Amino acid sequence: MTRFIESTITFPYKRSLGPVVGAFMTALTEKKILGIRCRDAVLVPPMEWDPATGAELPHEFVEVGPAGTVESWTWVPAPSEQHPLDHPFAFALVLLDGATTPLLHAVDAGTPSAMSEGMRVAPRWRGSRVGRIDDIICFVPGDMAETEGEDTGGAGEPVTRMDYLASITYRNPVPEAADRATEASREHRLLGLRCPTCGRVYAGGRGLCPVDAIELGPDCEVDLPHTGTITNFAIVTPVQYPGQTETEPFVRAFVLLDGTDVIIPYSAVIELPADRVKVGIRVDAVWASPAEETEEGGGMGGSWGSLLGWIPNGEPDLDDPDLVNRIF
Amino acid sequence: MSTPPVAVVGVGQTHHKSRRLDVSFGGLVREAVFRALEDAQMTLADIDAVVLGKAPDLFEGVMKPELYLSDALGAVGKPMFRVHTAGSVGGTTAIVAASHVQAGKHKTVLAVAFEKQSEGNAQFALGSGKGASLGAGGAFAPFIRAYIQRSGAPEHIGWKVAVKDRLNALKNPYAHLKIEDISIEKVKASPMMWEPIRFLESCPSSDGACAVVITDAAGANAAAADGRPPAWILSASSRSEPPSFPGRDPVRPAAALQCAADVYAAAGITDPRRQIDTAELYVPFSWLEPIWLEAFGLADEGEGWKLVDDGTTELGGSLPVNPSGGVLSSNPIGASGLLRFAEAANQVRGAAGEHQVDGAKVAIGMAYGANNQYFSTWAVGSSLHPFG
Repeated sequence: MTRFIESTITFPYKRSLGPVVGAFMTALTEKKILGIRCRDAVLVPPMEWDPATGAELPHEFVEVGPAGTVESWTWVPAPSEQHPLDHPFAFALVLLDGATTPLLHAVDAGTPSAMSEGMRVAPRWRGSRVGRIDDIICFVPGDMAETEGEDTGGAGEPVTRMDYLASITYRNPVPEAADRATEASREHRLLGLRCPTCGRVYAGGRGLCPVDAIELGPDCEVDLPHTGTITNFAIVTPVQYPGQTETEPFVRAFVLLDGTDVIIPYSAVIELPADRVKVGIRVDAVWASPAEETEEGGGMGGSWGSLLGWIPNGEPDLDDPDLVNRIF
Repeated sequence: MSTPPVAVVGVGQTHHKSRRLDVSFGGLVREAVFRALEDAQMTLADIDAVVLGKAPDLFEGVMKPELYLSDALGAVGKPMFRVHTAGSVGGTTAIVAASHVQAGKHKTVLAVAFEKQSEGNAQFALGSGKGASLGAGGAFAPFIRAYIQRSGAPEHIGWKVAVKDRLNALKNPYAHLKIEDISIEKVKASPMMWEPIRFLESCPSSDGACAVVITDAAGANAAAADGRPPAWILSASSRSEPPSFPGRDPVRPAAALQCAADVYAAAGITDPRRQIDTAELYVPFSWLEPIWLEAFGLADEGEGWKLVDDGTTELGGSLPVNPSGGVLSSNPIGASGLLRFAEAANQVRGAAGEHQVDGAKVAIGMAYGANNQYFSTWAVGSSLHPFG
């Protein structure tokens, strides 16, 4: 059975809206919906250019709605967290009065039987508006716009940017080779896979040889030594960004395992501060104690499992001018 | 040449800045596109297909921006393509666009590339959304350390490249960084970011776009007859290799050597150091200049840094590199590769303005991406047969 690992990435992007969508968003804070004149059409939401030809459009805004007519709809019986409403609703194409193109938005009608093509709908405004499309919480049946909560009024100044908190949760299959490497790490073994064609050895549960483009199965497994030499390294000054876990300069080292051609890349180092790291330092593998074992593994992450990183072992540094070239 | 001749007849770019908060994605790319169309004396109606390049979608968090931008780019009802080759994508975008014209499928193709770094964070995106991102500097620092030890280059080489490209940028009205008082001392005194790379040896984060109009021989000859010199594409090549395997050399990657050999052979270039008048190389960190001079055969192995040291690669030297100021001065990532290709084209068109290399007849534009893994290069000439 293939095992999956679930990951979530989130990031607070900041959109620059530009002069046309910016004007549309600014108007939303004032409970107005703007379209733009494009030849004989009124486009809602407004666009900066003619969608058919790409020609620049003069900024001739037209206030539309706020009520309109449903042209088409689909029912969302089980909304997700990212849907505009937390209970079943319809997504609808709403032709606002005065517009020639429909706006896609939510309609809170209770049941699908309350939805129909041609039905009249009007906005339910958010009381506190910031200049986003969800300043309109949704549309509701009828011709009367309503406001939810205390109305805090318009933005007072042009809205030029929009916060967009993107979030994606995805599941990655874990290759069998990675699972075997992780299991071996629990026994404090460093597992390698030797390509039967070229003889190269890959560590870290990488179940393929990218040179020969073949899979490497259990029959290719070899046990790797736990001692090696730092060949090269990066000292990273962490830039602060949402999700950054580091605050101080940190080291990632490349470790060449004794008697092999195997490089353990981007390794964590232990008791080796950034100002002391150099090429040629002899190191030993450090394994997590049972108490330190976590689902995510040790300091190296991924299929390195219980391997926490590498610690100087006190042996004299190696002085080999070719070491620094051993990065991969 | 076995492929039909095609040429660049229009080049446009934005004024690159940290934050273009006044424009949307569409507004940004259209600035470059309409400058390129004006340069080519064309309208969107003259474009038969559009090729868009940018860095991975995680940079701005817009999935498939090529679809979102299709109407902004006038591509409705026309073929629209997206290219993905990490940092080299801008160069590959130009090559894909040229290929469509060379194949005879379309007469005129628009290549567009952009990045709007102000909407997200490059370190976040390069770290796949996790903490402890190495960033590009952390990824390349070990390669640079290996180059320095191998070549015996003195440490001031990196500082010299950083100063040279920023001085060149002062002559380029579109460049992002304008550091009037740039000096070796200033670079040396800037913070160490990814040892041995200092802050001022690193590229900025930019919002910007670039666009190039590529057309067939008839279109190029018509432009020439009208007094608007085309840049003839003498050859183009893209090569790649796997990210890591024992024995892989990121200082002289096999893909780079193959890309160079391919592009020179097809252009009839036998002595690149003498036959190429100027090069726009993808140099986001100063030390990449000597590294790519060597990998692309513009200097012998271990000798690239000497061309920096003796001033050969300065504007006014015998092989100016990055007369535009390069990636070190403007880095809208997805567009950075196309900017190299576009600046090379402008040099052989005699259209580079104040950073023009006198009498440039042959130039190369080069871009690379990921872990020194993807390479794209083209050679352009002021004529189809610049070597007689």
